[in-house]
Amino acid sequence: MRLRNFTFSLLVILFCLAFARTTSAQALDISSGGQPTITGAVGGSVTGSSDVTTDLVVTINFGEVSPLNTNSIVKVIVPFALRSNQPYQVSVSMSGLNNANAQALQASDVGFGIQNARLLGGAGKICTQSTHIIRSPFNNDPALTATVGSNGRVSYQSSLGNLSGSTIVLSGPELSKNNSSKRQQSDGWVFDAVFTLTPQFFASGVSSATLIFSISAGPNVPC
Amino acid sequence: MPRKFFFRSILLTMLLMVAAVSCLGQSTTGTVSMSATVSKFVEINSGGAVTLTGNSGGGVTTDGVANSPLAVSINLGELGPSNINSFVTASVPLKLRSNAAYVLSMTATVTSSGTSSSRIGAADVGFGLGTVSRTGLGVNSGADTNATSGDPTLAANGSVNGTTGRYEFTAVRSNLSAFSSATTALSGPIIMNAVPRSNANGLTVPAMFAVKPQFFENGTTTVSVTFTVTAP
Repeated sequence: MRLRNFTFSLLVILFCLAFARTTSAQALDISSGGQPTITGAVGGSVTGSSDVTTDLVVTINFGEVSPLNTNSIVKVIVPFALRSNQPYQVSVSMSGLNNANAQALQASDVGFGIQNARLLGGAGKICTQSTHIIRSPFNNDPALTATVGSNGRVSYQSSLGNLSGSTIVLSGPELSKNNSSKRQQSDGWVFDAVFTLTPQFFASGVSSATLIFSISAGPNVPC
Repeated sequence: MPRKFFFRSILLTMLLMVAAVSCLGQSTTGTVSMSATVSKFVEINSGGAVTLTGNSGGGVTTDGVANSPLAVSINLGELGPSNINSFVTASVPLKLRSNAAYVLSMTATVTSSGTSSSRIGAADVGFGLGTVSRTGLGVNSGADTNATSGDPTLAANGSVNGTTGRYEFTAVRSNLSAFSSATTALSGPIIMNAVPRSNANGLTVPAMFAVKPQFFENGTTTVSVTFTVTAP
């Protein structure tokens, strides 16, 4: 009987510790910000969840990006939601896209920008003393900043080629009014990650990359 | 309630709560995976207007328009002895573009209303590809292999047969009889660097056709040539 009581007490203590740890770790959160979209693709697709309480797990298939795709550009918009009860920063790291052939698809051929900061419902916090800062050079819609370079190749104001290690792309003051330990439908901010790829005479092949978006405590700015 | 059942209920409740918290739990990372496909791409278009020389009558019925699909129609005019020019020649500019090594092949058919051996045949139509040009922004440098003998009117590429007296295009792949089935005329490495399709540059080469006016059997002759570019 004593052993059972001890076991029960131990389980309760462990449960409380685990719950407390979970609660303290939930000051910063990144999740889906809505349904991703894709335009201009031939044989491409994007999968992700429209539910803002689900993890940010998105798979983009740009499809055919040789001249067989006669569209001017393939554009993907990935909304992501951020929640925090403290100043934050978002960094992005990339793996993949290591084509040795310079004429094959390179990281600099994939435009990448962040746009369209907006409240995620009524519980998103509006700070008056600090703003959310999209770090240079990522504050642009790469579909609108695409230009043909001196070598004839399309370039962007910002691209995946601007990612070096874990690169901070966004920071700002706290994002959420409440201090919930659970994801809510309306307790943060949403941003759009915009990816573009212009069909070109790339050397043939299949390319892939993986991006990790991470949120962490950011510069201590007032709200 | 038995104590054992009570403890188990408590334990089950705790597990359900932990599961619920986990499900609604938050995360500090998200993942975006991406992929893209670049298939081999080749195309052939007109490289510009046709040049017709040495003709008596005839003319370019449907001219080439640069960067438009190649669909040229030429009337070579009179090819009998009443045409006193040494050759009737037609130069048809071709433009090729690719993101991979390419092969340009050609198939030709020649049909004549004549019935004798003196009618115009495939061997009487000289053919060759001229100088290959890879110039302009976005065009990759590379060495191409011309499988023809070039300008068919060159003295080195033809002469009068000493036995029959008929003019013959004698050099390698210098007349259309060599192209009765799909035969490679030109090949080479990747043509374009990574530039958009809107870049109008490419590899250009003139396809040169020639007929020596002779005492051919009278009648009409139709020559049909199809160019095909592939990325093997």
